[in-house]
Amino acid sequence: MKGHTVKQLIFDGIMGAYLLLVSWFMLFSSSPEAFLNLNQNTQLFVLFFLVSAGLAYFINKKGYKTAGELIFEPAHKKAQQLEAVSKLKTIWFWELGLFLFFTFFVAFEVTHFSFTELLDKDGFDGAIRLFNGLSHPNMDLLPKAVVNIVITIFMAFLSTALAIPIAFVLSFMSAKNIMNSPAAFAVYMLLRTAFNIMRSIEALIWAIIFSVWVGIGPFAGMLALMIHSVASLAKQYSEIIETVSDGPIEGILSTGASRLQMIWYAIVPQVVLPFISFTIYRWDINIRMATIIGLVGGGGIGTMLIQYQGQAMWNEVGTIILVIAFVVWFMDTASAYLREALK
Amino acid sequence: MTENILEIKNLVKTYPNGTRALKDISFKVKRGEFLVIIGLSGSGKSTLLRCINRLHDPTSGEIIFNGSNIATVEGKLVRQVRKKIAMIFQHFNLIPRHTVMSNVLMGRLGNMGTWASIWGRFSSDDQKMAMKYLELVGIKEKAKMRADNLSGGQQQRVAIARALTQTPEVLLADEPVASLDPATSHTVMDYLKKVNNELGITVIANLHFLSLVREYATRVIALKGGEIVFEGNPSEIDDAWFERIYGAGAREVQIH
Ligand SMILES: Nc1ncnc2c1ncn2[C@@H]1O[C@H](COP(=O)(O)OP(=O)(O)O)[C@@H](O)[C@H]1O
Ligand SMILES: [Mg+2]
Repeated sequence: MKGHTVKQLIFDGIMGAYLLLVSWFMLFSSSPEAFLNLNQNTQLFVLFFLVSAGLAYFINKKGYKTAGELIFEPAHKKAQQLEAVSKLKTIWFWELGLFLFFTFFVAFEVTHFSFTELLDKDGFDGAIRLFNGLSHPNMDLLPKAVVNIVITIFMAFLSTALAIPIAFVLSFMSAKNIMNSPAAFAVYMLLRTAFNIMRSIEALIWAIIFSVWVGIGPFAGMLALMIHSVASLAKQYSEIIETVSDGPIEGILSTGASRLQMIWYAIVPQVVLPFISFTIYRWDINIRMATIIGLVGGGGIGTMLIQYQGQAMWNEVGTIILVIAFVVWFMDTASAYLREALK
Repeated sequence: MTENILEIKNLVKTYPNGTRALKDISFKVKRGEFLVIIGLSGSGKSTLLRCINRLHDPTSGEIIFNGSNIATVEGKLVRQVRKKIAMIFQHFNLIPRHTVMSNVLMGRLGNMGTWASIWGRFSSDDQKMAMKYLELVGIKEKAKMRADNLSGGQQQRVAIARALTQTPEVLLADEPVASLDPATSHTVMDYLKKVNNELGITVIANLHFLSLVREYATRVIALKGGEIVFEGNPSEIDDAWFERIYGAGAREVQIH
């Protein structure tokens, strides 16, 4: 079977299995126990998948197009299309239409979407009380909020600053155009994988891990942000390194320079400015992330926010939000200006 | 001192993707020659030069430089070879953000320890040498300018100065004037000739225009499909040879 046919069958199989599984729950069992019966549901899914894939194969054989065929059809086949067919008469249109319809249905169901809740009188009054509190911030709390946001800013600064040298060194070891021997390529793959794993674990999760390790507070938050920054910066740096032009590299190597000299003289001058630009942006992101991390015990303004929110002290929460909004806006603008100036 | 500075024996280069760029090439280069290599694009000229200074690894064959085979040397020895067989390129390959002086000093990297070079501590002898060669190519007054603010012809002269600070015995030039206008081309070629005559450095250049070849070359080699199809004096290339090298129907373009 051709590659595109396999992809097409997998796509149509999953589509069909999804539609059939949702129908199954609607028709026969929507009790919580039925959802939790993973074993039975898996068997059902596989069964439905095979049925749908088989059906799709048969339909395409007959000359009608399924959605999978529409997406994965090779270009040369697309080119020899006959005249246009009304969409309402195609299989793929109904397949995609049903998919959208079912997905909205399920989404409203699982999010307990309810207009009565949204328009409920008591709930609405509560929200108004909250907004009232937020819009009358308690300015006595301002000094404390400022101290805490300064902690957050320094947390972000230190995590970025510590991440820079580590990411700098690792980025060269994870750039394809530098790691071109087979042994070096293994290191490249290993580092790239490690960065992807490190980045896919949210900074929030790292913060929880470190708050157990070194105790709740700014230190845990800083470490979490640093780990995340090392992975993100190293990946971005190495992508910049991969786009440098070969001319200067060849020029320097032809003088009899060593590899390290080549990196320093031919590559570094080409990448410094983009490196600095990405680093400033990272610091900017880290300030926002540091606030969020504070919510789970990473210290600084986030931790302060969660304390006052827990006691429903809305005037105080208003002060804190005001301070955060100002700093985030300021840093955002400043970093945009800096990065523009570096171009 | 042998008479032949370079001797290429049965050189073969096959790229990893299977392209056979050089098929069994053999020739000799005399000390002090101005050898020009001609041929259509894709005939293997650049590959040949890059094998000689070991920017590329030859697949098989020998490259005898001053009596020893450098085709298979590795590591530190490769860098020794590159130091003695300098190279300039079609696109100059300077470091754009650095000054002219700094670019010329980079020719000394092969003679420096890694740490000294990372801090940019070039000795005063190196600085004097760089200045001397900038003077030789006539752009001493541009020493403090950024390399990318120079015209193409000036950049190529900086590249020549950088190559000279390597104190090479051979200078390879891969289409050194292909991205320059005719007048500038002559200036750059004149400096290559000067390097060849005054410093006694052997020059091997890839060139496109036969009129330049006739003016500057002491000997010519023509490549076609990775093989040598002509070897001799520039004056021997008549219309019949021209057609054989460049294919029937090709017409010569003049550059003055
Ligand atoms: N890095 C490379 N990888 C694969 N093939 C290459 C590479 N460089 C050059 N070639 C091929 O080798 C042949 C000779 O190229 P080249 O030496 O650049 O010729 P020239 O300089 O005469 O134009 C061409 O067919 C070219 O496509
Ligand atoms: Mg070439």
